[in-house]
Amino acid sequence: MSVDPGSMLSFVRFLFAFTIGSHILLVSTSISLILLVSITEFLAICKHDPTYDALARKLSKVFVISFGVGTASGIVMAVELVGLFPSFMTLVASTGAMALLYAEVSAFFVEVLALVLYVYYWNSFRGRYSHWAVSLFIVIGTLASAVFITMVNAWMNTPNGFDVSAFIGSGFKTVTDVEPFAAFLTSSAAAQIFHVLVTTLFAGTMVIGAYFAYWFVKSGNAEEKAMYSRALKILGAMAIVTIILSGISGSEEMGSLLVNQPLKYAALDGNVVPGTNLPDRFFGSVVNGSYVGGFSVPGMQALLAKFETGVTTLPGLSQFPANTWPPLFVNTTFNVMTVGGLALGLFMFVFFISFARKRRPYESRRLLYIWIPAAILAVMVYQLGWATDEVGRQPWIVYNVMTVAQAANTSDALLIPGIVIVLFYLAVIPTTFYFYSRIFQGSKKEATA
Amino acid sequence: MNGIFEVNYAAFSVFAALLITEIMGAVGLLIAWPSRSKILDYIVPVWEVTGTFGALWVVTGDFAYPALLVPVSSIFTPLLIVFLILWVARGASISFAEFITKRGWFDEERLYKSYAASTIVLGLIVLVLLSSLVGGQGVNLTTGSFSLVSWTTAGSIVFIIGTLLVAVGLAPVLFDLSALRNLTIPLTGLGVALSVLSYLLMSAGLITPWMAVPVLLTLAVGALYTRQRTSRIVTNKAAFLAVLSIIIFSLQPLVYPKAIGQALSIDAVTTTGAMADAFFSITVVGGLLLVLMVSLYVLVAMRGPSGPDL
Repeated sequence: MSVDPGSMLSFVRFLFAFTIGSHILLVSTSISLILLVSITEFLAICKHDPTYDALARKLSKVFVISFGVGTASGIVMAVELVGLFPSFMTLVASTGAMALLYAEVSAFFVEVLALVLYVYYWNSFRGRYSHWAVSLFIVIGTLASAVFITMVNAWMNTPNGFDVSAFIGSGFKTVTDVEPFAAFLTSSAAAQIFHVLVTTLFAGTMVIGAYFAYWFVKSGNAEEKAMYSRALKILGAMAIVTIILSGISGSEEMGSLLVNQPLKYAALDGNVVPGTNLPDRFFGSVVNGSYVGGFSVPGMQALLAKFETGVTTLPGLSQFPANTWPPLFVNTTFNVMTVGGLALGLFMFVFFISFARKRRPYESRRLLYIWIPAAILAVMVYQLGWATDEVGRQPWIVYNVMTVAQAANTSDALLIPGIVIVLFYLAVIPTTFYFYSRIFQGSKKEATA
Repeated sequence: MNGIFEVNYAAFSVFAALLITEIMGAVGLLIAWPSRSKILDYIVPVWEVTGTFGALWVVTGDFAYPALLVPVSSIFTPLLIVFLILWVARGASISFAEFITKRGWFDEERLYKSYAASTIVLGLIVLVLLSSLVGGQGVNLTTGSFSLVSWTTAGSIVFIIGTLLVAVGLAPVLFDLSALRNLTIPLTGLGVALSVLSYLLMSAGLITPWMAVPVLLTLAVGALYTRQRTSRIVTNKAAFLAVLSIIIFSLQPLVYPKAIGQALSIDAVTTTGAMADAFFSITVVGGLLLVLMVSLYVLVAMRGPSGPDL
């Protein structure tokens, strides 16, 4: 697949990739934040601990910002999709993918109304457990939104619920035999939802943890340190659980790719030709029809594939027309993601051992110093995971149905508005993170005054 | 009757009612900052709900009229881009403003005023868009484009002035600004008259006997506020929002059965078959969830005051 990097098609690809890359930064912190708020308030009630209570209140305010900017950004993306990929969105609007988006808005209502109650009517509840229960509605609404939107992406990977050949045969004009609710149960949905949710939670947890790690190390105030320590204790536990689940779900996801998207699987693993007993290859590249450079672990790929799916003959790129291959650098992005994930797993393993030996890792300066670059790595791995999934599906926007080139609006008129959107996000994302910190710190000063 | 249109238009009516009340508050924040607490008590818990109803309107619209998705988005691309930027700016500035404590360049007042300015301009863009959807001004369906120059007609301008006058006239009701009580009827009456005139200027076919419903309801709200005894009915924020939503809902003959200057038949572009069934099924489930959450909200809100728990 070759694309002129100076074309409008490339710009449209870049613009949407940039927008979604920025948006998921907000999403990952948002999802982890509300889970953290809920756990913190629960502990505050159970332990009668005012520090946990103060922490939950402060974090809920940060969540309001995260929610406000995140949802506005989500609406930008929804409208941008229509402008950038009109044919794709027309297909979405005529099939079950639209039903998923509608279901997502319903989940969104649960989230927003619960959030308003939770934050603005904190003291109006008769019992603390009743108030805490409202946080569960926010968590459920947030997670359900994430599940439905991931289902749309799963539908793009394994489209169903309409007559594909009739649609292609009509020149993308007629959608027939529509089964709207089939989109809720695509063959790739379960594995993808599992992987997306836990990796999103892990990345967000690491980012929030990095903030508290920095302030714990920097602060000389015992009261503040007590608050940061409590936050890090919860975040450490969340990170340990989610990194384990990330590994398990990543393995499940590869098994799903092997069955549902064998071409993407072959590109990710750098399999030029199909075969049995294939190795896991790292950091090489495909040159003149063979994989060169890097290193490999003999038999590992075949072993994992057999364990995950029972499949023994693994697919290779040569089985598919070369013009349907994704850019082969996805092998590298996949490798960086895997190795990065393993490194993060190792860090969390050390953290866990320290936890198990009651060494209070959440107060260890050494481990907290490592947490900060680990969080940067976690975000990088998370973004690379998303890029690998999307680029790995290229040239298709809807797998085996419609290519990105067929779906895209390549009008020059998009150039200026597109640049404005990029500049706008470049300002909004750092400003939002700056305000997260400023609101938390402002509340902290007020609380300790 | 087109049930799918009714659901989508109902979502729009609530969204528009919420947005109008936010604009009323935004004007107040800009011109009467010292009396902000009365306005913020209302706006701060509500602005997030406005966005959610906006999303509901857009998504149900995409679902209801798949064939319109591409033409509408390409016609209104420039307006939509500005709308989106203002939408994020509005959400960001009010959420920052709510909890900011430290005084400095980026202080509470500056952020709230930034929210107010974004919301007012955003409201104007929505009005431009609505006037085009009603009268077709500025829209070229053949080329799929929008021209601001062609949009600038007597009908569009009077439409915006009329709507703004109604909003300004009813603002004292929402925030119970008794000092401005005497202005309510003249401003609202003039706004209603100009609005009706604008519909007439856009197309005589837009004026139907149904128009009496929104006209009478709007004037009734203003009239009820002029008397001390009855003002309590309309100054109740939930009641005000409900009536405003009903007023907007009753304006549906402006876009149904035909929209964009009577050039587009809504029934002809509405989704059918299995997708229509799915639309209704999800509406029922989502509607039940919404009723449940709103009931919980009302139950809790009746117990205590709102406002950020600083």
